[in-house]
This record gives sequence, structure tokens and C-alpha cells, in this order.
Amino acid sequence: MPGNNFSSLPDELQLATAAHVKYIQSLDTRKDEYEYWLTEHLRLNGLYWGLTALHLLGHPDALPRNETIDFVLSCQHDSGGFGAAPGHDAHMLYTVSAVQILATIDAFDELETRGKGKGLVGKFIAGLQNRESGTFAGDEWGEEDTRFLYGALNALSLLGMLHLVHVDKAVQHVAACGNFDGGYGASPGAESHAAQIWTCVAALSVAGRIDLVDTDKLGRWLSERQTPSGGLNGRPEKKEDVCYSWFVLGSLEIIGKTHWIDREALIKFILGCQDTEKGGISDRPGDAVDVWHTVFGVAGLSVLRYPGLQPVDPTYCMPKSVIRRVLGK
Amino acid sequence: MTSHNTPRQTQSRTEAQYAAEQTKIQTYTTLQSSLLSHISTSGYTYNPEAFALTTKILRLNPEYYTVWNVRRRLLADGLLSKRSSGSSPSTVLPTTSATSDTLGSSGSSSSYQEGGETPVSRESPGTEKGGRSGLQLEKTQQDDAAQESSTAQKNDQKVLTDELQFTIPLLLASPKCYWIWNYRRHILSESIFRLPTPVARRIWLEELGLDSQMLTRDRRNFHAWGYRRYVLGMLESKELDGKSMVEEEFKFTTDKIKGDLSNFSAWHSRSRLIPRLLDERQAGNQERRSFLEEELAFIHDALNVGPEDQSLWFYHQFLMASFTPGNEQYAIVTDFSTTEKIDHLAQEIAEIKELAEDYDDVKWIYEALVEYTVTLGQLRKLENEEETDLRGWLGRLRKLDPMRQGRWDDLEASWKL
Ligand SMILES: [Zn+2]
Repeated sequence: MPGNNFSSLPDELQLATAAHVKYIQSLDTRKDEYEYWLTEHLRLNGLYWGLTALHLLGHPDALPRNETIDFVLSCQHDSGGFGAAPGHDAHMLYTVSAVQILATIDAFDELETRGKGKGLVGKFIAGLQNRESGTFAGDEWGEEDTRFLYGALNALSLLGMLHLVHVDKAVQHVAACGNFDGGYGASPGAESHAAQIWTCVAALSVAGRIDLVDTDKLGRWLSERQTPSGGLNGRPEKKEDVCYSWFVLGSLEIIGKTHWIDREALIKFILGCQDTEKGGISDRPGDAVDVWHTVFGVAGLSVLRYPGLQPVDPTYCMPKSVIRRVLGK
Repeated sequence: MTSHNTPRQTQSRTEAQYAAEQTKIQTYTTLQSSLLSHISTSGYTYNPEAFALTTKILRLNPEYYTVWNVRRRLLADGLLSKRSSGSSPSTVLPTTSATSDTLGSSGSSSSYQEGGETPVSRESPGTEKGGRSGLQLEKTQQDDAAQESSTAQKNDQKVLTDELQFTIPLLLASPKCYWIWNYRRHILSESIFRLPTPVARRIWLEELGLDSQMLTRDRRNFHAWGYRRYVLGMLESKELDGKSMVEEEFKFTTDKIKGDLSNFSAWHSRSRLIPRLLDERQAGNQERRSFLEEELAFIHDALNVGPEDQSLWFYHQFLMASFTPGNEQYAIVTDFSTTEKIDHLAQEIAEIKELAEDYDDVKWIYEALVEYTVTLGQLRKLENEEETDLRGWLGRLRKLDPMRQGRWDDLEASWKL
């Protein structure tokens, strides 16, 4: 990456960009691994994670665009929703990933011409809102969770279709999930949890209602997620884990308080979780890598302004340049 | 794709390992394609072979959500009794249309969307009401109809309990798998409108027992705590002839905490139960005051043995809401005068100062001292000595907790000393 002097950093502070790019490119060639088959239910999410990591790493063209679009569209159902892979049922989680992928590679027009159209996607998502409480179900079976509420607002805003749902009711529901510690849970009454906090705070951010967050209390709770290892955990008294680099840090970034934790220590922790030879990032040093921890590690580093990375949008976990293009802001 | 606590393999697979892995893949993908072909030829029509395939696949991979969905549809089509049109609202159990010709097609999603209702929802248990009229029908209809209905119920009871049994080993092996919890939720909701209320209630009570066991195995399991709130909500509902269980559940949190002071999940649950508990006890001002005193004594005892435990401090903050302007929403006592608030704050600060004598290198102590003194400053002007204390404690924080230096900077900047 020209213009940056991070090559002068010591080895343990180097990001193994080339290895990570290769690792992500290899993910769909691992059909001789049992794990590949056992994780088919995450395929479309995995594509979003890998693609986003590649964009943040500055290699947006490392996956073939046409094949990516073909695969995404092959997961779509007549209802407009997307499943994890062809033959898997439609669910909010995959529908959101599909929208994020298509937004990232600027392919919404393909959804119109070769897919079932944006309108049907919006209808599928809007149909999952609980009109009474404002929250969202994941699919027809009705399990509700703030993860799905966030996903709905994320995808609908990218599609320019927020008007299809009761945003105010969704906002009220998020507020009802708030706890005395400043955090948020999966449903009213549920314990604060960093991943749920990010979905709630990011949902409020999409809705333009960050004013509802008690940023001092929340910032305090979030900053206490940093353990002496430098890594972040998801709840009090739990072990640190790279994925929380995103959930905690993304939330802190949205409320403007990333300086409440030790930046250097977290960078070291994330970099220490890399497999510098074969690529990929794991939950903790020495563990098996996966694409989930890879994207959240890289996105965390991006929030921390690690040199050479593309800036990430803390609300969407997508490149800022993409959000600017899609939302015009 | 989202692995946790799995050591990184440094060696590549041996030939034998590679071969063994290919066999596993073969077995798995064969099961998968057999199920797919069943569905593409006969949709979700019940077929024992297809049902057995879902069992096998889910034992190998409980994360395969589509197969859980297939299993629900097969159950509804063949194993469970057919419910007459009047016995339940169509939205409760989405029926799969005959047009569904692939494993993935979600013909039933439209029925969910049109209904706009959740099959099972803690907030609106009323959606289950239709099932009760089904049970009441039984009492008024003729004997043979009653006979038939009771056979159907016995069948359903066996099917549902078998399903619950089937998922227990899976849950024990994968306690953080969302889909297993969801599936149990679905089966339990079926019991409400298929079985006589006392029978259904017993099943739900057993579920609460199972959940308690899961929390014994992993005291912080996020899924088990969330699921517990849901099961309790249903056990308290009209649908299950329920009444409040807040006293029992409050006691449950006490037991959990006594077993392990660091259980933030239990402290959290306690904080959410207290407002209801006091309302249901119809606690007056005096009773609320003594309740708060008891809780403060409880947390002081805990802090005396584990002041480095942040769970305890978060709960302490929760209790302090009664003395903290702006935190009325969480206050246990809502009618403290300003003088009373000041006295209590001063008393808490004195207690914590004592703690600092025994544990002078625990940052939480200084954080609490700073926070409650700042609160005190909102109620009356701080004395010079108190301001000096504040600066001293902040210095301790900077030293003991340098990772959060930026926070201490902001904190200092916010003081108008
Ligand atoms: Zn993780």
C-alpha cells in the first residue's frame, strides 16, 4: 500500500494482508473439508463477511463479480427473501447479507433484471415486522430478536425502502430493550450483550435516534469490555474474543467514544490472532481461523485507523465509500 | 465459519485422516440429497423416511435451520393430529402450501406476513387463544367425538414429548445453537393448543427444570437465560392457567448468586425482577426502604469478599439509582427527600472508603467513589476536602487502569471543580 510507512512496524504489528486475501479467496475451494459442508447454512453470510474484509483490505476485486451475483441471486425465493444457499429456506439474516453484498458490488440493478426485484425483497423484510411491538421476526416461524430488527433497518435503508416499516415503533422497541447499565439485550428484559448492543445502537443510528442512548453509561460498560490482554469480551467476566473487537468498537465508534479503550493494546491483540502464514484471524491467539473473525478483526483494525485499511462504516459494517455511494452521504 | 475455542491445526491431514473426512462428507451429503429429493417429489407430505432423514441430519448438524423447518412441516402434516379449522388460528402454525416443491421454497411465509402475528410471542400470548376453544369443544360435543379427540391428544402428547426428548442430547452438545432452542419453543407452543391445559402446563414446568439444569452446566448461557424469561412468561400466562412466579424466580436468582457471586446474568435478572416483585407485594414506602436496605447489605457482603468483580459493582450502581438524580426509572424507593439521598450517598461513600483500606489497588473502588461523589455534588455543593478526594481517586484510577486513560480524561474535563 503506497503512502503508508507501516512496513517499518515490528513484525508482530504487521497485518498479513496478502495471506488474508488468499485465505478468503480459498474459502469456496474447501469442498474436501467436512466443515465446508457443515457450514452451508452460513454460506451467504460468509460471502458478505469475506467480501467486506476484502474491500476493507483494499482488494475489492479479489472475488469474481459475476459469480458473486449469480450465487446471491441463486439463493433468492419467490417470496423475495434469501436463504443461506440454494435449497435453504429464506430468513432475515441471509436476506440482509444478500442486500449488503449487492450494495457493496453496486449490483442492485441485477436484482431488478435477473433477480426478483428490490420491491419483493423490501416486502419480505417488511412482512416480518411485528406490527404490535415494532420488533422483527427472522422468518415465518416467528422468533424475534433485535438482531433481526437491526438487519431489517440496515437492508431497507440500503434499498431506500425504510418507509415500508414502522421505524418509530422499531425505535421504541429498541429503547425497551435498554438496561440500567446502559446496554441493550435481545428483547425487553434480556441481559446486555455486546453483539446485541451493536445491533441496537446501529439500528438507532439508521433511524437517526442516537439521542436515545445514554452514551456515558453505555460507553462505560463498553470500555470495561477490554481485558488486560488488550482484547474485548462481550459481557462482564467473559473471555476476550476478536469478534467483539467489532461489536464493542463499532458501538463505541457510533457514540464517539473509541478513545475510552486502549487502541494500541487492541491492535496488538487482533494482530496476534492472525495466522500470518495461511491467512485468516481467529477468536483468540492460537485458535483456528474463520471468515467471521477475519472480517470483524479487520473491521476493528479499520475503526482503529490501522494504516492501509479502507475506512469502515460503524453502523453498517461495510466500506464507508459504499455507504456514501448508496445513501449519498 | 464461526469457530470458537478451537485450537489451530498446524499439521496437515494425514492420508488416513483425509480419507476418513471424505467418508464423513459422503455420508452427510448423501443424507442431504436424499432429503432434498423427497421434498422435491412429494413436498412436505409426511413420510417416515423423510422424517428419519431429518433426525439423522440434525444429529450431525443441528445448525441446519432449513431441516428443522422441514421437520416442523412434516410433523404438522403427518405425525400430529389434524386440527379442525375452528380449533386454531391459521397463523399459529403456518401450513405449507402444496405448491412448495423444493426444500427451499417458503410457501408459508406469506401466511405469516398476512397474519402479521408471531406463532409464539411472549408479548402477545393471546395469539394462542384459539386452541383453548378447541379444548372446550371437547367437553360439549358428543362422546365419540370426545373419544376421538382424546386419542388425538394422547397421540399429540407422545409426539411432542418425543420431539422434546430428541432435542435434549443435541442441546447438551450445542447449548448455544439458536435453532435447537427455537425448535423446542415451537414444540412447546404446540402443546398449548393441542393438549389439556394441566398436561401442557406440566410440560412447560419440565422445560423450566431443563433450563435450570442448563444454567447449572453453564451459569452464563445467554440463550438459557433468555429462554427462561420466555418460559416463565408463558407459565405465568392465562394460556397455561398461570399466576405470577416472580417470588420463586427472585429466589432462583438469590440461589444462583449465592452459588457464584460473579454471575452477572443472575444479578441482571434480579434487577429486572425487583420492580415487579415490589409491585406485586404492594410494597409501601417503608417496605421499599427496608427492601433496599437488605439489598444493599447483600451487595456489601459480596463486595467485601470480591471487590474486583465488576458484576457486583454494576448491581451496586443499580441500587444507587434510588439516590441518583436522573435515574428514577430504576429507583426502588421513589420518595426519598434530597436530604435522605445525601445521607445515603454519604453512607455508601463511607462504606466504600473502608473497602479501599483493605483493597487499595482495586480500581472499581475508586470508580465507585468518584461516581457517587460526583452524584453527591449534584445534590449539594462539595466540600474542599471532597474535591481533593476526587482528584486523588482519579489519580489512582489513572494509575491502576491506564487502558481507559481517555475515559478518565473526559471524566476530569466534565468536572467543574
Ligand atoms: Zn468470536
